[in-house]
Amino acid sequence: MHWSDRLQRFDRRWIFLIMALAIVIPLYVPIGLPIKARPMTKAAFNAVEELHAGDVVLVSMDLDPASTAELEPYYRAVMLQLKRKGVKLVFATLWYQAPPLVARWLRETVDVAIAPPGTPGYEGLPDRAYVRNQDYVYLGFREGKQNIILGMGANLPGVFGGKTDDGTPFADIPWLRNIHGLGDFKLMVLVSAGAPGAKEYVQFAQNRYDLRMVAVTTAVSVTDLAPYYQAGQLLGIVAGLAGSAEYEVMVGKPSIGVQGADVLNAGHGVVIIAIVLGNLAYFASRRRKK
Amino acid sequence: MTPALGPVDLLGAWIAIFLTMAILSFLYGDNPFYKLAEHLFIGVSIGYIVVVQIKNNLWVKLERPLSPWDLVPAILIAMMFVKLASRKLAWLGRFPLAVVVALYAGQSVTGLVGSDLGDQIKTASRSLIVDKIDLNSAPPGELSQVPGVSPAIAAKLVIERTARPFTSLDDALSRPSLTASERADLADERGLLVGTEARAATESNRVDWFGVASGVLLLVALLTGLLYFYFSIAHTGVLGRASRVGVWILMVGFGASFGYTVQGRIALAIARAQDIRGTFVSPADAAQIHGEVAAIVSSVIIVAGIWIWERRRAGVAAPGEAS
Repeated sequence: MHWSDRLQRFDRRWIFLIMALAIVIPLYVPIGLPIKARPMTKAAFNAVEELHAGDVVLVSMDLDPASTAELEPYYRAVMLQLKRKGVKLVFATLWYQAPPLVARWLRETVDVAIAPPGTPGYEGLPDRAYVRNQDYVYLGFREGKQNIILGMGANLPGVFGGKTDDGTPFADIPWLRNIHGLGDFKLMVLVSAGAPGAKEYVQFAQNRYDLRMVAVTTAVSVTDLAPYYQAGQLLGIVAGLAGSAEYEVMVGKPSIGVQGADVLNAGHGVVIIAIVLGNLAYFASRRRKK
Repeated sequence: MTPALGPVDLLGAWIAIFLTMAILSFLYGDNPFYKLAEHLFIGVSIGYIVVVQIKNNLWVKLERPLSPWDLVPAILIAMMFVKLASRKLAWLGRFPLAVVVALYAGQSVTGLVGSDLGDQIKTASRSLIVDKIDLNSAPPGELSQVPGVSPAIAAKLVIERTARPFTSLDDALSRPSLTASERADLADERGLLVGTEARAATESNRVDWFGVASGVLLLVALLTGLLYFYFSIAHTGVLGRASRVGVWILMVGFGASFGYTVQGRIALAIARAQDIRGTFVSPADAAQIHGEVAAIVSSVIIVAGIWIWERRRAGVAAPGEAS
């Protein structure tokens, strides 16, 4: 049998096995390839760097457990960046799967310091533990997709009944009293796994209220959002796991994202080799038949 | 001493690892373990959705005093279900559907026209002549767009130029207030085509030729891509050739989309591997869970189970062949 025919009849389960090895081995034997941030990741980073202490930022956590692989590294990195800037944070979510995840992430990244003074391997400014209803609030989940976005744009307290998720009235939190709609936030950080998410915020709120927004999204959604970045509707986009790794490097605390990026390179290598071999086999076979 | 994980937490972690390996066993072929994991996932998801929607959506609305307007959605929902009771009155179900369609259409039109049409057309119509960013006069926000220039560096450049205007890029990038790491970042971005050299200058009205070429390429790609979808005239001659270019542009776009999709799928597999390894829990918890051991034990159970199942299937088929 000709090598091209043998290659075309190759059992794909061997490719699955090779891919599994390409994913597992770099986790134990890191390759350490360099990570260079792309312009849209840098733009997202710079947008957060321009904030000042006391600015109020909305973090919309529109994700589910399946997307944490790509979004969690960025979330942890941007939380460190936001907290070391001393901004006030408002968390909300439009996805029903998100609340338990948000509750855990708040406990692990906002209620405690991510990088206190003396953190090994970290040379940037330290952050501190934030106090609920003083430094940050969690508004909770609301069902309604773009209707909620439209409502938040016009009357944010009305959408959440004037209370945070734990029942604290907005009026009891001094820095929240001036937040009437999305336009009152200095910046919006959109942790978006799909719809409703970054795209809906751009379509239904950004244009109407001239909002400043950065987004992290799963890799499959990046091509949909890239035109918004090019048009300036999004100040920056962090693209999936690779973008999250770049962001971790920029913030100065490499972690699960950088570890994952190493493995991603190995996985991509396997895919590229498979595609090249597949094409070689196809064209060789076609030429042989001619 | 670190508190031990409770038996429920430990069992939960092991079940998660077993179900991960069960789902991945589909790569070998469909089998009962995969079916078990799949059905469990669907059942638990639906149960979770129902509980969360009742708690966070329905109950929240029922807790407050009801107003007459609250009857409107109730009536519309009732009208939707009328067709289950009576075929004669099934036409009533069209009204709530019409309300929903009209609502979403109205919202989408107002939203999409501004963001997906207006802003995009505005960006596509901007001038093709792009000037380099003048380091001596651009505001800090614009300076940050120069490759390698962060907001912190931009702020320093503004202070430096006030003291002494820049005479060249080398002069600007070697000012004393810049730290060694900032200079290293800027040195990384020096380049003739897309780097600092191409985008920045120390005087006004210098043309950014890379920007001009990019703009022309984007415009050609946009027009030829749109032309492909214009079916009122046959795609022959000049139009046909332009449409062909548009096809290639679309294929490049699909290729980029495919590449990102591959990245996303591999990232999912990486997350499962990291979870099994205990990356997302504390080292103490990971030491108690022994994720790798649990994965190996699960794999052995699944492989053995699939082997027994396939032998039983072969045994059931064999008596038929013998007769």
